[in-house]
Amino acid sequence: MSTLTQPMGGRPILRASRLVLRMGIAVLFLFAAITKLFDPSSFAQQIANYQLTPWSATAGLAVFLPALELCVGICLLLGQWESGALVWVAILLAIFSGALFSAIVRGLSIDCGCFGRSIENTGTLWPLIRNLALLVVTGFLWFSRKRR
Amino acid sequence: MTALRQAGLIWLIAVALAGVTAAVHPKRPSFLAPPRDPNEVTLAQTQPWTGTVLWVDARPDSEFASEHIPDAVCLNFENWTKQFPKFLDHYNPGQKVVVYCSAKSCQLSREIAAKLRASGVEEAYFLEGGWEAWRQQNRP
Repeated sequence: MSTLTQPMGGRPILRASRLVLRMGIAVLFLFAAITKLFDPSSFAQQIANYQLTPWSATAGLAVFLPALELCVGICLLLGQWESGALVWVAILLAIFSGALFSAIVRGLSIDCGCFGRSIENTGTLWPLIRNLALLVVTGFLWFSRKRR
Repeated sequence: MTALRQAGLIWLIAVALAGVTAAVHPKRPSFLAPPRDPNEVTLAQTQPWTGTVLWVDARPDSEFASEHIPDAVCLNFENWTKQFPKFLDHYNPGQKVVVYCSAKSCQLSREIAAKLRASGVEEAYFLEGGWEAWRQQNRP
């Protein structure tokens, strides 16, 4: 068993780091969800900027993604259904990273849209780097979690 | 409970929440078509503004460098901090501003125009059809 997958009961520093990282991701997802839920129409426009989906799918994603982020954030905050929430965190980060990468490759000069209209002018490169870093954190949380 | 079962339940709750959002949210998006924006203008609408309008090119810098509407200013999200002061150098308060991007499918011009209005540029519009429409009309 690797160091990462050993039970953490006896290692308070690792346990504390894990808690901080889990809460960090929870707060990030909750913030992302709430800012988008304020104005789904505007978020739909931001998704449309990626030019990846037809409008009806874009509108669907504009209401579904914030809802999913909200559920994931609450689960991580409360420490309930953590494994399932981490699965979604990884899937969402991978999808968002793919979309950002595709925007960069196609030379689209767009705003990330990661936090609705609350944080703009972020471009696409830094959000992509942040997402990849968050994927690493998610991997740590996944492999160090308690199996239930 | 396995991770996949938990993930499935989270998905179900999210779908239900999304359904409620789509049904009752006052700012829910239309599923049929993007809403017609009152700030969208056609080339024909811009004709009377010839000589006074300030064109803003929202495409990437490389495309702007390659070709653009005469006297247009380059302004995009990637380089907003650097380019916005340059835009202000060309802008006269009260002047009509029309933002364009590459084509009809491009939404950037709408976004940039919205951001300009939020920054105090009252008459900021975006061009239907963008650069493609301009080129098709073969204007100088």
